[in-house]
Amino acid sequence: MTSLALLLPLLPVLGALIVLVAPETQALAIGIAVAAVTTCVATVVAVSALLDPGRVDVAGPVLLDLPGAVMTGVAALVGLAAAIASPGYARDRPRRRAYVVKLLAFWAVLLALPLADNIGVAWVLVEASTAVSALLVAFGGTPRALEAAWKYLVLTTIGLALALLGIVIVSAGLGDSVGLAALDWDSLATTTRLLDHDAALVAYVLIIGGLAAKVGWAPAHNWLPDAHSQAPAPASALLSAVLLPEVLLVAWRTEVAFAPAIGGHAARAPFLIFGLASLVVAVPFLARAMPWKRLLAYSSLEHMGVVAIGIGAGSRLALIGAALHVVSHAVIKCVAFLAAIPLLAVQPDADSHPPGGIGRTGPRLGALLAVCLIALAGLPPSPLFASELLIAWGAVQGGQPWVAAALLFALALAFIGLAGSAIDIVAARTELSDPRPALAVVGPLAGVAAALAVALVVAAAYLPDSGVADAIVAALA
Amino acid sequence: MTPTLAWAVAGLGLVGLAVARRRTAIALVTLEALILAVASGEALPAAILAGRAALLGGLLFLTVRRTTEVRPLIPPASPLVRLSVGISLALALAWLVPSLGLTSRDAELAALALVAFGLVTTILHRSTLHQIAGIVTLENGVALAALAAPGGASLAIELGAAVDLVLVATVALVLHDRVFAAFGTSDATQLGSLRD
Repeated sequence: MTSLALLLPLLPVLGALIVLVAPETQALAIGIAVAAVTTCVATVVAVSALLDPGRVDVAGPVLLDLPGAVMTGVAALVGLAAAIASPGYARDRPRRRAYVVKLLAFWAVLLALPLADNIGVAWVLVEASTAVSALLVAFGGTPRALEAAWKYLVLTTIGLALALLGIVIVSAGLGDSVGLAALDWDSLATTTRLLDHDAALVAYVLIIGGLAAKVGWAPAHNWLPDAHSQAPAPASALLSAVLLPEVLLVAWRTEVAFAPAIGGHAARAPFLIFGLASLVVAVPFLARAMPWKRLLAYSSLEHMGVVAIGIGAGSRLALIGAALHVVSHAVIKCVAFLAAIPLLAVQPDADSHPPGGIGRTGPRLGALLAVCLIALAGLPPSPLFASELLIAWGAVQGGQPWVAAALLFALALAFIGLAGSAIDIVAARTELSDPRPALAVVGPLAGVAAALAVALVVAAAYLPDSGVADAIVAALA
Repeated sequence: MTPTLAWAVAGLGLVGLAVARRRTAIALVTLEALILAVASGEALPAAILAGRAALLGGLLFLTVRRTTEVRPLIPPASPLVRLSVGISLALALAWLVPSLGLTSRDAELAALALVAFGLVTTILHRSTLHQIAGIVTLENGVALAALAAPGGASLAIELGAAVDLVLVATVALVLHDRVFAAFGTSDATQLGSLRD
């Protein structure tokens, strides 16, 4: 079953080739059919890996392990959703064939990336994802889309070039023994110990700093709100729900590989710094009235920050929380970005102006948007509440209560912002011209947020000794 | 990779930072990669670098011919300022970064200098083609480091990096064309409407 993993990136590529020769009118339908077949194969691969967890070297630099299987499953489901939603975006647009080909090519890279058993191969795939997705970001053809695509391409390419320099330094440190296999994740954990400590540290900082530009962590986040807001909604879903966490997975694997050489604390420190910086940057924007997809982009910045803190906290519980957060965020964000398609049909200027009063004209759409925002805000029963709790709790367990406190404080503020936005988007009488949130809603929301924060703190303080932790870890591990 | 060749490539990067003419900048980055190809001393890495240089150089020159600017795009910073910033960053990196384990410290410093010059070229030039040339200079710095690694870097990685660079540069040129068509110029300062 695991050898089916080799097929995963090939199926969308094959589909793209079929779309190239098929009539343009069939492009979207072929895209959906290819996505359905690919998702079935991906589900089989992911489920087989989940049922029999453990590292499987499939072939060459292809690896199937638990995190990779989870991300593959997420990539497949979000890709299928994006393909199914694509007719809503592209049905009446020119160049549908080009759109489907680019979407499938991007998806192929996303399906390959979690399976890369080698830092060099992973780098090549991440860079390839930049090239293909930049074309998708620019697909709208407007000056703003071009601007977003240009920023995205330039900033992430510079970051990835620096990451490549880090990989070259690792190669240099390994001397004559270097070969592609020496850069496998498992080998790296051993071979990085052979590196000079300072050189290993420089290489690590370059790799993580470079990947940070691609994840969109602050302060290298400038491209993120632009690219996610200007890309076609299905591409935005893939960018936010799949690409960012997959690059984060590469960063996490790098951290695991370098920790023996540079020390666990040094390896985790950049994650905490980037995570907290991302929260600090994202939270004020979540309280501002802004176009729907742009708001979601800042939410992505916030959630990638949360996951980074989960990795940086380092305890097993925090890592489980980070994994749960990635999956939950992917599902919710995918739905939220795809909801932009009906939203733009109702309010065509919602891609450049804050939407407002959707609930008055379209109750079902309004309810959907509100549920998405409230779920992203982490209000129970959102699975993000549970994952944030696990991460905060993991940070306390890992001896970093100040990190947990900062995380919870930022999450409470983010909740106020997103909940305020949800109220405005659904129930405001007119479209919003004032970029400030209505003061009337801030007070009650602050109360709810404070209660939420207190609940999280109490849970984080009480649960580690309650035995519930062991049960959850046993269930999730 | 002899120290002389390494510093020669870095020198070309420095000149590329100062020049305002797009054709000259492209010629310089192409020459950098060709010198690296000659200096590599092994057939396959040389072929990869030379192939990348030829392909990228050709694409960039074709694009310059196709998108002629009505007025020259004068960078916001004067050549002296650009050179000062580039040299300062290169010196700072040389001071901050410890030994990287390459075959010679000269190669390390030259690679870091190229990275610095590429970064500053991308940041301080207005022309989108200059920004692409800056990225290529940066990647040339990485290629220099790879050539100076004991035992060389993995060929598969070198090939993948070269293919990716060509892919990214091609996409960048497509975007450059569209920017030129939309704005009538390839001035990157036109791309500043998305702000919060």
